[in-house]
Amino acid sequence: MSITKATMQAGIKRLAMAMEHDFEMLNTIDGALGDGDLGVTMTRGMRLVAQASDQLPDDLGMALLACAQAFTKSSGSSYGTLMATGLMAMAKEVKGQTSIDISQISPLVALARDAMMKRGKAELGGKTVLDSLDALCQATKGINDPDELAKAAVNSVQQALDDMRDKPATIGRARIFAQKSIGMDDPGMVAMQQIIIALADR
Amino acid sequence: MKKILNNPNDYVDEMLQGLIAAHPEYYRLHGDSGKVIARAEPGKSGKVGVISGGGSGHLPVFTGYVGTGLLDACAIGDVFASPSAEQIADTIRAADQGAGVLRLYGNYGGDLMNFDMAGDLVEFEDIKCTTVVLADDVASASFEEREKRRGVAGMVYAFKIAGAAAEAGHNLEAVTKVAQKAADACHSIGVALSSCTVPQAGKPTFDIGEDEMEMGMGIHGEPGVWRGKLRQADEIADEMLDRLLADKPLVSGDRISFMVNSLGATPPEELYILFRNVKKRFEELNVQIVMPLVGRYATSMEMSGASFTLIKLDDELESHLKEPADCAFWKV
Repeated sequence: MSITKATMQAGIKRLAMAMEHDFEMLNTIDGALGDGDLGVTMTRGMRLVAQASDQLPDDLGMALLACAQAFTKSSGSSYGTLMATGLMAMAKEVKGQTSIDISQISPLVALARDAMMKRGKAELGGKTVLDSLDALCQATKGINDPDELAKAAVNSVQQALDDMRDKPATIGRARIFAQKSIGMDDPGMVAMQQIIIALADR
Repeated sequence: MKKILNNPNDYVDEMLQGLIAAHPEYYRLHGDSGKVIARAEPGKSGKVGVISGGGSGHLPVFTGYVGTGLLDACAIGDVFASPSAEQIADTIRAADQGAGVLRLYGNYGGDLMNFDMAGDLVEFEDIKCTTVVLADDVASASFEEREKRRGVAGMVYAFKIAGAAAEAGHNLEAVTKVAQKAADACHSIGVALSSCTVPQAGKPTFDIGEDEMEMGMGIHGEPGVWRGKLRQADEIADEMLDRLLADKPLVSGDRISFMVNSLGATPPEELYILFRNVKKRFEELNVQIVMPLVGRYATSMEMSGASFTLIKLDDELESHLKEPADCAFWKV
């Protein structure tokens, strides 16, 4: 089973719809700890990605690059820039490929995770989207069956939220509210959960 | 919210349109994002470009300091929000005259990511970029962790000094080095008496009592070191100076420049009341203040309050500080 431009376009469509749906929810949970614009970032970013979707090139590296650029254009929010950073890291790796075998997903997520760690100057275990990506990367390693992969992916981001919930925030504006953040889900991790649910079509 | 505006969503765009309409001899829009401001007359070929950027709401920072002997171009985001990486990449392109571009901006997470990302975007175009990040707010982290400090009004001195070095024809490495030296020499602290209001939020960023002040507050309303009853001007100035001098001890014969800056609503009258005490304190220490700056240099919307910035000078910094510079808000 492999991912092609058509699979990607279908995923973009589901993801764009999910982000329209989650607009208020993401703004609200972000507002409790940050500046309350995470829904704006994701919705605006995915609208531009969806607009570009029809004209995506067959080269999946170039297609991912176009998605990254949509995020760098749409806003300057940290989360949007991190999304773009992760997408660009994956884009560089698959440049020239017109299909991606699903066994490649775990190492690609690892590349995105590492590039985002570097750009965000953050570490694992800090209750950020990086922890979701790390869990996703570990849980999808070595899986070749699409159904099994989707299930493992969705479970992993839920597990990451459960594991981190009772830790304090360590980075970004939420760090100022470290005590208050204990028991609350990190907004960036929640957004990643919604992204994975949409991409896995669950 | 009590503000003069049309639609909160158009606040920044309409502000920039007005700024350029009022001062076309200094500013022009570059590119099609509507958020990149460049010098009306570009720097000469072979000159190192100096750019900055960040959220709106701090005029004259950042956009206002685009001008001769200052910044070549600037990317501006929504109020208190970073410009996008794509806008910053456009800013780098606008400032590039073939000799590379220095990115000079304040230490905020979103800005760091976007300026770095912008560097990646222009890497393919063979534009060489360097970075100096301002981290001058002594209230935001201890001296041992000074790389974590927020960047505030000290960036005005850094813009001036880096801009003068670039105008003098120094190469990218030399401009970057002197900009870093200027950034390291700056120490700032602010005091807030009332909140600012972000137009799109529509309500004050924080609540503070009618009779209260907050020492060490950041320029977006980040928490300071203490909050208490409003004190008299001399007491406020003394504490701010004590905190700066604890961070940067000075000895007899040192030369500094000093800025007493309004955070927006505080009038010049009150800044001069503060400066009177500042001058007296430095005279007692036999420290000479070169080119004192008293006025609105880096603001936080309609926040009332003031900030102090001290920059310890050596011959190189002092000569760059005194070289000519010209923008709509400041002439040297």
